[in-house]
Parts: sequence; C-alpha cells; structure tokens
Amino acid sequence: MSFLYDDGQMAIATESRRVLDARMAKDRLLTLLEQVGSYDEPFWRTAVEQGWTALAIPEEHGGLGLGLIELGLVAQAIGAHTAGAPFLTAGYGAARALLHGSDETLKEEWLPKLASGENIVTVALADASAPVPPASRVRFDNNRLWGTKSAVVAGLRADGALVWAQHGQEPALVLADLSRVVRNPVNSFDNSRLYADLVFDGSPARLVAQGDAARRIALETLCAMAVVTAHEQLGGAEALMMIARDYALTRRAFGQPIGAFQSIKHRIAELYGLVELARANCIHAAARDGQEDFLIAAADARISATEAYDIAARDCTQIHGGIGVTWEQGLHLHMRRARSLAIEQGNLLFWEDLLVEQMTGVAA
Amino acid sequence: MTDYDSYRRDARTWLQSMAGEFGRDARRGLSEEQDLALGRRYLARRYDAGYGGIHLPVEFGGQGLSHVEKVVFETEEMAFAMPIVYFSISLGMPVPIIIRFVQDREWVRERVVRALRGEEIWCQLFSEPAGGSDLAGLRTRAEPDGNGWKINGQKLWTSWAQYADYGIMVTRTDPNVPKHQGLTYFWVDMRAPGVEVRPIKLAEGGHDVNEVFLDDVRLEDSQRMSPVGGGFGVAMATLMIERYAATDSNGFGPGLDALVELARGLDVNGRPALMDGRVRSAIARNHAMRAGLDSITARAMLSMQAGKEPGPEGALNKLFSVRSRQKLSEFAIDLQGMKGVSFDPDGLFTEDWTTSWIAAPTGRIAGGADEMLLNTIAEKILGLPQDHRPDKGVPFNQIPA
Repeated sequence: MSFLYDDGQMAIATESRRVLDARMAKDRLLTLLEQVGSYDEPFWRTAVEQGWTALAIPEEHGGLGLGLIELGLVAQAIGAHTAGAPFLTAGYGAARALLHGSDETLKEEWLPKLASGENIVTVALADASAPVPPASRVRFDNNRLWGTKSAVVAGLRADGALVWAQHGQEPALVLADLSRVVRNPVNSFDNSRLYADLVFDGSPARLVAQGDAARRIALETLCAMAVVTAHEQLGGAEALMMIARDYALTRRAFGQPIGAFQSIKHRIAELYGLVELARANCIHAAARDGQEDFLIAAADARISATEAYDIAARDCTQIHGGIGVTWEQGLHLHMRRARSLAIEQGNLLFWEDLLVEQMTGVAA
Repeated sequence: MTDYDSYRRDARTWLQSMAGEFGRDARRGLSEEQDLALGRRYLARRYDAGYGGIHLPVEFGGQGLSHVEKVVFETEEMAFAMPIVYFSISLGMPVPIIIRFVQDREWVRERVVRALRGEEIWCQLFSEPAGGSDLAGLRTRAEPDGNGWKINGQKLWTSWAQYADYGIMVTRTDPNVPKHQGLTYFWVDMRAPGVEVRPIKLAEGGHDVNEVFLDDVRLEDSQRMSPVGGGFGVAMATLMIERYAATDSNGFGPGLDALVELARGLDVNGRPALMDGRVRSAIARNHAMRAGLDSITARAMLSMQAGKEPGPEGALNKLFSVRSRQKLSEFAIDLQGMKGVSFDPDGLFTEDWTTSWIAAPTGRIAGGADEMLLNTIAEKILGLPQDHRPDKGVPFNQIPA
C-alpha cells in the first residue's frame, strides 16, 4: 500500500536536506571529476556523523533500526546535490545481504563496523553487463576467490566486498577481504564513484550464502539497493526540475522570461510529471520492502527514476542554452551522475526484463 | 481504514450481483437507445441500493458520505462496464453545482433525485466554436428581456445533449468589459422553445457530442446561478469538481494485463512475442508509468481519508494515462500484423484495442487538452508565467479577431 510519510520521516527528509545544503559545495565536486581515486571526504564524514550509515541497520547490530523508507529520504537529499561517496548504498546492500545470510559471526563482526562507518564494504555482483549473471566467472574455493570483477563502485576504497561468485556447480555470495586485493582504477566520467577492477588472486573470503539462497539474497539485495538509488535519482531529477524552473523564471529573451514560452514551460511541466511518477514509485517500493511484490515495485521505481533523471539532465541542460554546457555552471555533474546511477545496480535493459519476467513468468 | 475496506467489499458484492443484468455482456449488441434505457434502469437500482449520490447531502437525496466512498465506489464500478456513460457529465458536474448555486431548494431536490435515478439527464453547455480551451472567449449572448433573459448563440461539443432534460450554461452578458468579467451562469430547460440539438458524429463513429443552437431562448432570472458578470467563478467551481472523480491509470483504455494476454498468443520473428525485447520494453515502461499513477491515486485517497487535501500531482493522471493509452493501442494493433486491421463496431474502448486507439484522441482533447493540462501544471504548480495573452485586460468587443 502506498503510504503518506509520517512526521518522523518528514523530519529526516528536512534535516538531511538542511545539512547537505549547508555543507555541499559544487566547486569541490567539480575538482573531484578530474581526479582518479578521490572522493568527497566532507560528505562521508557528514554521512557518518549524521548516522546515515547506521540508519537501516538493526539496533541489535549497532544501527538505528529504521528502514528503506528513511534511507530513501536521505538518498533523495543526497541525489539533489550529486553528493555521496558511493559507500552508503553499497554498505546498506552489504549489510542486508549479511543479515539474510546464516553466518552469525559475520554479522557480529561486520554490521557494527558498517553502522559506525568504521569500515566500508561494497557490493560486486555484476560480471560485465550482467548485474547478477547465472554463473559468475569469479570462482570461490576453500575460502578463497579467483577472478576479476570489473568497474566495481567504491572499489578503490572499500575494505570488503560482497561478491557474487561461482562455487563448484552453485552460485555463492561471499564476503571478500580487500586488504591485499589488486585494484586497477577505472578513469570514468564520474570519478568520485571510485570505480576499480578488483583482481582476486586467492584472496580470503567467507561464505554468506550459496545455491538458491545465494541467488535469492543477491536479487533481493540488488532490488533494495536499486530502491535506494532510485531515491537518489529522484532527488537529482527533482533538483534539475527546480533549477530549470528557476532559470526559466529569471532568464529573459524576446522581451519576456523564457518560461513564458510553451516550448520551455511544457518541457518543465513534463519533468514535473516524470518526477512525481518516480516519487510515487519510490515511496511505494520502499513501503513494499519484504513483501511478495517487492521485486516488481523495485523495478517500477528503478525504471521511472532512471527515466526521470536522464530526461531531466538532458532537458535542464537544453533549457539553459550555452551556459548549461560550461564546466563552471556544473549541470554536467547531474548529467554524469544520471548516467553513472543508471548503470550502477543494473541498466534498464535488465530491469525491464526482470519486471516482465515477474509479471508474466516469461524470461527474456 | 477498515471502514473503507468494508465499504469497498460491500460495493463490489452489490456490483457483482448486478453485473449479469447490466454489465458488459448484457450490453453487447444493444442499440444506443436500448443501452440508455438499460442505464436508466441500472441507475434506479443503484439509487435504491444506496449508491446514488454517495457524497451528496442527504437533504438533497444523496447518501451524505465523503468523496472517499464516492471514489471507492466509482473505481469498483469501472470494472463492470455498466451503462453509465450517458450520466457521467450529468451527475459529475451539473448536479453538484445546482445544489450549490440554485436557490429553489425544493426544485433542486426533485432534480437531483431524478438525475440520480436516471430519470433526467443534465448537460453542460460550456464550449463553443470560439471558446473551448479558451472558455472565457465564448460568444453566446444573454440579454435582459423583461424580468428575465434572452439567449442567442451556439454551444459545441456538448456531451449527451441529445438526451438531456436540462443544462448548465455560461453566457456573455457584457461584451464591453474584459472577457472573464462579462460572463453569467444559468441553468436552461433543454425542451424550451429555441433550443435545437444536432448530434455530431465523431471519428470513432459515436454520437456522444452535439452542437446546441440557442435561438431567442427565454430564461427567468431565477435560472441565473451567478451574479451578473460573475459566471466565470461558478464555471471554475464546476470544473474543480473533477478533482474528486475516479481515475484510471489505463487512460480508460484496456489494461496492461490485456496486452500481456494478447502478446502470449503472438509471435515475432518466429519467437514468442513476450520474448521480444521491444515488447518487453513497452510492457515494462507502461507498467512503471501506470504503477506510478496508481500510487499517486492511492496516496490521494489516503490524504482524503486523513482529512487532508490531496497533492497537486493528481493532475497528471489524465495527461499521462490517455497519451500512453493511445501509443499502447497502436502497438497492440501492430503486434497482431494484418489481423490488426479488423474492427468490432460493438467494441468497448476499455477492452478493445482498436476501439481504444480510434477514440484516444477524443480523450486527449475533451475535458482539458494535453496542452492546457501542461499549462496548468506549469503555471499553477510550478509558478511559471502565463503565455503571452494579447486579450488580457482588453474589453471583449475590442479583442482583435
């Protein structure tokens, strides 16, 4: 059931927006674009200090015991600023997967450190373009990993990774220690995401789940992260819609604000529609966490939020004309983030296929 | 919350008990006159069962419940394809608006009950050849005539006027002031001398709308529903009522499940159509869009149940749903190859893709064209400027033609 946010949730939304409004700086983010291996440290300190790393981890494991709804609201505020070291979503995904696994010592060891922000754990499910391949090319044997995961988000910095691997004839979800792993940096169009190829050469790893359980947990984890990312995309799309609106009100041409021309105002009105559809699907998906139709709701949220952010990035830039394509103006921060977030957690080809398979039972 | 759930359950049970006599199968092959007669009988039964005028005051023959129950019932009713289309305008706008703006309460009560029972039908005489989206540009004149009024002019696109007993009408009483200030609102007896209704055949073959000619039609001043010159305000109040109507994320076309069922039986390049990436993409994108609209509607219902105003995003429903219905209907025809050219004259646009496709443009124009809805979103929600309006502040009779 779609729900209305309560006062506590609204307070989280307002407070996270307020903190980021005060602490984020566009110039800092622009500098990071041209540096491989750097991320926005002031943001990450803020995330830890505000307890966002602990938000959706159960209290018995050192967290605040809230859920996807609250984390989604924080992600939305983050998306509005193209803020975010990539650790928050991945850390949440890793924590969820550990919680669903059966190894209690792994939970005791890692969850409090994820909650406190002391350790960074990323998620490396994909092989090439397949977000959760039927059989991974990375092998897991005798508590060791062999093989390469390409362009893993946060890969340059994470202490551990939840890895989708192959264990004999069965898939396995394992937690890898990255302390001695070779990390090859990927120079990307959104460098603060810290993408790296992780080369496992007998690296130590511990089993979280295997077989059907691993497959179920991997897909469920991916869906949960996709819902967080969808909120982040929603935040970005909404910010762009407002930037476009504000610019159309102040920029004048042919003797009037450009927002009085239907070619401009209708474009912004269409963005409003896309943003509200994405918001509605995000709210619904967060509320369906743990229910049977969660996968469908997550796919709906992911599809509409990706669509909204991409189109908003495109149209907001277009509405700005020449100034929109300058480095300094910084709209390209959103253009870049719209694309990097569209790929992280699986592209729309994947989500369309997953949704239709869930709806019809027919695989692609 | 549970109150509404049990209301919904009871409504569904009652509707199911009526489906055989009045629902889609009972209507198949009926002429429009027969279908209308069936509709009148259905409305009488609906009224007797306590589902007529759900949100209207008890003293006017309604049930005295809230908009929530009304929307719940309408949403349930939609699934049964009951013959209610002839009464949708009548009960949607004119009936609630005469309760608010007509002075003779006894007369109003009689009209409301008859309309709720399907015995009388009201139409809405707003649009004209020179005033559709630009409603305030209308030209039908009302001139003082003794202690009443005399009407001359032409209305257009008037739904179900051919069956209507009464109408609500906006007229121009003063062409010497800017256009919004010179309008006055009346009700009119559609059987009065000088009223002539001519049905218009639409592209899809139906006759839902009419031209209405008004030639020296005499009205009493008691038929006036607004101050002289205050008609635009009442017209706006009339159009605002729609906010609390049931919506349909299918755009009043077939559902996505119907497309999936259609695709199950079809091949593309020798493979099952459901395995084709383009088919999957169309299904997935439409699902995401419709799910978003459904979630907006669900949240609006929760807001109303909590006694709050629903958010402005409800305005998106018609714009997004009907537009997507049009494209999806084209796609459904394409998928069938040459079989797609067949046409069922009895097809319902909520169930038949071809009927849905050919009637879709009407949906994108009637009740607010897409472009007007975008203007409304841009101006009222986002605070963007109005379009350039050369007629602004200019006396109506000096606006360049």
